[in-house]
Amino acid sequence: MLKTDFKKLILGIVFLVVFAAAPAFLPEAYVYLVGMMFLFLILVISWDVIVGYTGQVNLGHTVFVGLGAYTAALMQVPSRFEGSVDFLAGMPQAPIPVSILAGGIVAGFFGLAIGIITLRLKGFYFSLVTAILPLVFLKSVFVFSDIFGGEEGFSIGLERSLAGDVTLRYYYAFVIFLISFVIIYFIVNSRIGLRFRAVRDDEDLAESIGVNVVRYKILSFVISSFFAGIGGAAIVHYRITIGPDLYDIPLMLLIILSAVIGGLGTLYGPLFGGIVIYLMKSWWLRSLLPSIPEWLPINDDVILYAILIAVGVLAPEGIWGRVREMLRERAEAESPQST
Amino acid sequence: MMRKVLILVLLAVLVFGCAQEEKKPEATPTPKPAATETPKPTPTPEKTATPPPFGGKKEVVIGVIGPMALPEGTAEKNAAMLAAKEINAQGGILGLKVRVVVGDTKLKPDEATKEFRRLATEEKADMITGGFSSGIMSAMMEVMAETKTVFLADASSPAHPAMVAKEYDKYKYWFRISQNNGSTFAWDLAEMIDYLRDQGVTVNKVYIIRDEHVWTDAVMKGLTPLLEERNIEIVGDEKVPRGYTEYEQLLLDAQDKGADLIMPILAIAGTGDVLAKQWAELQIPALLAGHDLAAIDAGFYEKTGGAANYYIFLADGGVLVTAPPTEMAAKFVEAYKKEYGHYPESHQAYGAYDAVYIYKMAVEAAYKAGEKNPFDPDVVVKYLEKYKPGNPAKLTRNVAFHKNHALVWGDDYVRNWIAQWQDGKQYIIYPSTVANGQLKLPPWI
Amino acid sequence: MIDIAVRIIVYGAVVGGIWALVASGFSLIFGVARILNFAHGIFFILAAYLGIVLAKSGVNPYLATLISILFVGGFAVAIYTGLLARIKEHEVMVIIVTLAIALLVEQILIIIFGEHGISYPALISGVLRIGKTPITYKRILAFVVAVVVLALLELFIHKTRTGKMIMASSQNYEGALLVGINVDRIFIITMFLSAVLAGIGGVLYTQVFAASPAASLKALIFAFAIVILGGLGSIKGSIVAAFIIGYIITITNQFLGAQWAEFAALLVIIAILVFKPTGLFGVEE
Repeated sequence: MLKTDFKKLILGIVFLVVFAAAPAFLPEAYVYLVGMMFLFLILVISWDVIVGYTGQVNLGHTVFVGLGAYTAALMQVPSRFEGSVDFLAGMPQAPIPVSILAGGIVAGFFGLAIGIITLRLKGFYFSLVTAILPLVFLKSVFVFSDIFGGEEGFSIGLERSLAGDVTLRYYYAFVIFLISFVIIYFIVNSRIGLRFRAVRDDEDLAESIGVNVVRYKILSFVISSFFAGIGGAAIVHYRITIGPDLYDIPLMLLIILSAVIGGLGTLYGPLFGGIVIYLMKSWWLRSLLPSIPEWLPINDDVILYAILIAVGVLAPEGIWGRVREMLRERAEAESPQST
Repeated sequence: MMRKVLILVLLAVLVFGCAQEEKKPEATPTPKPAATETPKPTPTPEKTATPPPFGGKKEVVIGVIGPMALPEGTAEKNAAMLAAKEINAQGGILGLKVRVVVGDTKLKPDEATKEFRRLATEEKADMITGGFSSGIMSAMMEVMAETKTVFLADASSPAHPAMVAKEYDKYKYWFRISQNNGSTFAWDLAEMIDYLRDQGVTVNKVYIIRDEHVWTDAVMKGLTPLLEERNIEIVGDEKVPRGYTEYEQLLLDAQDKGADLIMPILAIAGTGDVLAKQWAELQIPALLAGHDLAAIDAGFYEKTGGAANYYIFLADGGVLVTAPPTEMAAKFVEAYKKEYGHYPESHQAYGAYDAVYIYKMAVEAAYKAGEKNPFDPDVVVKYLEKYKPGNPAKLTRNVAFHKNHALVWGDDYVRNWIAQWQDGKQYIIYPSTVANGQLKLPPWI
Repeated sequence: MIDIAVRIIVYGAVVGGIWALVASGFSLIFGVARILNFAHGIFFILAAYLGIVLAKSGVNPYLATLISILFVGGFAVAIYTGLLARIKEHEVMVIIVTLAIALLVEQILIIIFGEHGISYPALISGVLRIGKTPITYKRILAFVVAVVVLALLELFIHKTRTGKMIMASSQNYEGALLVGINVDRIFIITMFLSAVLAGIGGVLYTQVFAASPAASLKALIFAFAIVILGGLGSIKGSIVAAFIIGYIITITNQFLGAQWAEFAALLVIIAILVFKPTGLFGVEE
């Protein structure tokens, strides 16, 4: 038990040191990228809460990312409400921390509402409904394009970014990520987290020993959505622009890929997976692009999807099986015989 | 077990991939051998003796950014590369070779800003040209303000020059070179209607089909009072999203409402060919005349299987392949065909080509005037601004900028000519100073 | 007024017919193999693109259509045997993998063909006028073909031996195995059929409208909405639901515009999934 904790501690410190010092030896464009990566990681670990720890495969996580993002963006450009929801148009521009928190709160609120309605569906159907939700919100962006900016979204202006200087922005993103991670870590390792896992492993058994399954499912969903919203809002303040891509399926697949590769239900797994996937997509694959022959109809997205397909086909037990397998492994590792 | 192996493999690949970062291959592709003589730009800059390097500068990097999956993007890329090739063959800019780097916006704002930033900071572009969508342009201008990169751009929303006017020091690096403001489209469209009426066509009811996009809002703002002046009723104003194809219902709706003129205001939708086909097939008793980017493409007639016949459109950017306004334009069009096998697929090509040349001219003028670093963006801006009304740069078009860096509109500068497809060829029918054809009406009207 | 009514009736029927084809394909493979094929829209669009490419390089349009539809069927079989067969018990992973396949193929199409729509070379041209309403022969062709194919499908399922085996496998997997049906072969045949149906729908759709890579997602959403409404696993349900949705789309389109039409369809799916996941004619799990 102690050994694993110690290992994790060392890893944690290395992580902190490496990333805190990164801007010193990375060119500016990469500092920007890695900063963005931290915000992406928030999306991934928040997804792990509902999927890895509570066993509800939510395929609509990006709904909350987008909600958080648009909330923050609209709080920065309330003039967009002119002509439709006029009383909001007069709002003063919100200070950035408020804007980000608001993003999380709105997302969490929708999480509550959506969770109550959808979580009573059994596993497969739940995934199905949640898979379609992003499409609805995506469409709403186009239908109400006066407010949301339609396909191309809008920009909130350089002054409203986390910081004017790229390096400072990087550190802000890093801090936001760290705070989110710490909070989520404490939640999943607390009694609440234990209950989440009980729901995941065997709903009926959990119910029978007195765990209010529905309540904990919803709680997990709300926590997960809240942080997704925080992530989304922070992303808007980081890159200054907002667009419907934050609702869209490719982002969801990226999150799934990161978490599945990393290992669901471990928090560190998805963290690691997220780093690998994000850097691979934005950094390595992009640099690969010029060397791809013109005649080959491939770009970085294509390669990424191919990887996802390969992972999905080769590790098909996917989400359910993996979790069970990991539990078994961990039970064996932590049993009194092996230390 | 499988998963652990997978992770190790990915890690290895990641480390390997990042190591590769150091030796990135050049972005310029191997140009096809061109047998044409390289056209000389007018005016020809004097070839001075090799000037000293500026703070160790080894090359001039020109960035092209646009939606590369669309003809607008590829036209920008091709044109810029052609310009670079020609310039390099003549010794480059102040003796330094020009290298072109390309960014793909994928018509998404987050991609566009990422790519713009990459071109500006990683590739260290001295000048970036391109763009297409007005919404994305606004986003890119924010990054431009951060990186302070000279940006010679496309798009048409009046919001962009307004940004320059409002916060000059922040956005002064932006110039619009490809085409006029959206508001000028309104003037040209109104003049088009005047011309049609002169030719005896009744125009009392107009049915508008436009892009669901901020740029058309600007056009409508200018157009509506002009139509009112002329006692014209707008019987329909339909907004269509990108990729829209169900024009039949709209066309029939127009017919129901008794429209004499169906006026498209399209660019982003990209499906002008479908509109033309459905209009021709249904034989709607109304003229199809307006602004449709798709119709400018030289291959449009073939694309629609001839349905484009009689389609009247605005020639954005002031150039038509069949009617180049300057000698340089004529040479460019042929050189483009020689290099790429077809004529420029969209008018953004002229903007990009002119952008590279005007940048060269500005830098050389700065050098001649004794500027210590002619490549400094603030300096370049100063010299680009010298091309104002009364002193245009004679490129493929006569390019001059207003105080807010918008492109000057006028008969001697750039304007959107009224053109029509007739039996497979494009003809300019108005204004008469450049017209090389007469209006023809479809047989079923 | 009458013109608008005629227009709605005719157009609605055409749209309904095309989507009925696509939806029944989707429903078929789910009913039989429990595979929710999110890549279904790809078969729809690939047949169209392939047909266009072949026709442009000189192949007779009818022959091109036939070849591309058969190719799409083969492609589906390849996807099934190569990828899906291994993971078909893990329903959620199937959704994820097929979604990834859909996006991958869509990206490749965008790279090759660009994002704009292109239209299919005319298989038939000319216009029929009912009163003041012109109805292109293309639409009539689409409707007729859709009805004929659906009728053939019904015949196939209920009258032929293979068809009955398909029905048996969909109703009771283990039972079918026990009776000696080579269920795996049935799955492959069903996959082929499902893609062919989508492909025919795609070609017809592109005749009347235009093909673009984004249309694959549209096809998926509508097929999905229809199948959910009709009931997962019921082909008859899909066909009925297709016409219902077809009319809803046409009417919304006429009065509110294309964006609202898709929005409405999505809201319908969600509402149904939440309140009656088994749809109108659904088979209870």
